[in-house]
Amino acid sequence: MGNLFNWTNFLIQIIAFGILYLLLSKFAFKPLFGIMEKRRQMVKEQIDSAEKGRADAERYLEEQKQALQQARKEAHDIIEQARMTGSKQADDIVLAARNEANRLKEEALRDIESEKNKAIASLKAQVSGLSVLIASKIIEKQIDEKTQSELVDQYLQEVGTKS
Amino acid sequence: MEHLSPIVKFSWGDLDLAAIIMILVTSIVAFVLARLAVRNLSVENPGKLQNFMEWVVEFVSNIIGTATDFKRGRVYLSLGLALILYIFIGNMLGLPFNFITEAHGHATFLGMDLYMNGQEEAEFAWWKSPTADASMTMALALTVIVLSHIQGFRHNRKHYLKHYFEPWPFFLPINLIETVAKPLTLGLRLFGNIYAGEVMISVILGMGWVGIPALLVWQGFSIFVGAIQAFVFTMLTMVYIGQASIHEEGH
Repeated sequence: MGNLFNWTNFLIQIIAFGILYLLLSKFAFKPLFGIMEKRRQMVKEQIDSAEKGRADAERYLEEQKQALQQARKEAHDIIEQARMTGSKQADDIVLAARNEANRLKEEALRDIESEKNKAIASLKAQVSGLSVLIASKIIEKQIDEKTQSELVDQYLQEVGTKS
Repeated sequence: MEHLSPIVKFSWGDLDLAAIIMILVTSIVAFVLARLAVRNLSVENPGKLQNFMEWVVEFVSNIIGTATDFKRGRVYLSLGLALILYIFIGNMLGLPFNFITEAHGHATFLGMDLYMNGQEEAEFAWWKSPTADASMTMALALTVIVLSHIQGFRHNRKHYLKHYFEPWPFFLPINLIETVAKPLTLGLRLFGNIYAGEVMISVILGMGWVGIPALLVWQGFSIFVGAIQAFVFTMLTMVYIGQASIHEEGH
């Protein structure tokens, strides 16, 4: 056993390994673990931020979609409204024009009627005046039948040219 | 001729100079490697050595995760790393060369007489794997086993004490034997593998020039064995600590 097992070696090895363990832990493994932990943190943060960015992007996209939808709807409404007002205005204009035309026509008809009546009235007055004149002339002159007919023709001609 | 260890006899015991040198060299290599790896630490742009070291950390984390629950076994990450680094580097150091001095009648080192086993002629081997020495592997094994018992007693007292009497109280002797066997198997497995590898190397060296291909093959295999043994030692350490100190829910 003396050759195979050496107590001094045994003790020295225990102490040496203890010291090596302490030195390695303190000067090598601790900073290494720190770095590895830091990297783990970094990766985690980056994954988190990427996840957050993705969620944000999705949210924005959704918002944009909704805004687009809204804008489209509004535009549609506006066009619809414009079309409605346009057609209504056209109807109004046509209606107003028609009314105006009717009014003008009726006015014109009324004017014509009244002019006609006036003309008839004045004709009547002149005819009666003329007949009185003719009668008085007949009475005044005592003329024969031949001259009378000449006379009537003459006055009728006069009436024809005068009227 | 058998190679002797350069041992200095004192009244209080034997001082194995080769062992001390190799412990120192292995520790320094391990420490320097780890320090170089963390020299220019960077979160975003790690250097090659830092990458390697982080891979080792992940590797040991996986070992812990397999053996126990990583969340609670996390405090042993540094221990596992130190173990796997020390043992792997130790295993590798013995492989590439040896350093032998011959002595005739009398040999000293820094004024200390080397023990020559009563022979006139002796050859001293100054270079070997620290893990090719049973006293050193047993030191590592006992350290972690004692640690596992302490942690078991501190953090998991009820289950730790109960497990000696399971499944029935009369199993106590068997459980005690298991307790003794754990550090023995842990330490001697490592020692046996590495020591056998070095013995084999010296046997092949004895063959002369003919042995060179065999030596190459065997050294390659020894690298494999050394890596596996470092892994096994760390794995078992974590398993033992986990068994003793981390009580899994629902069992």
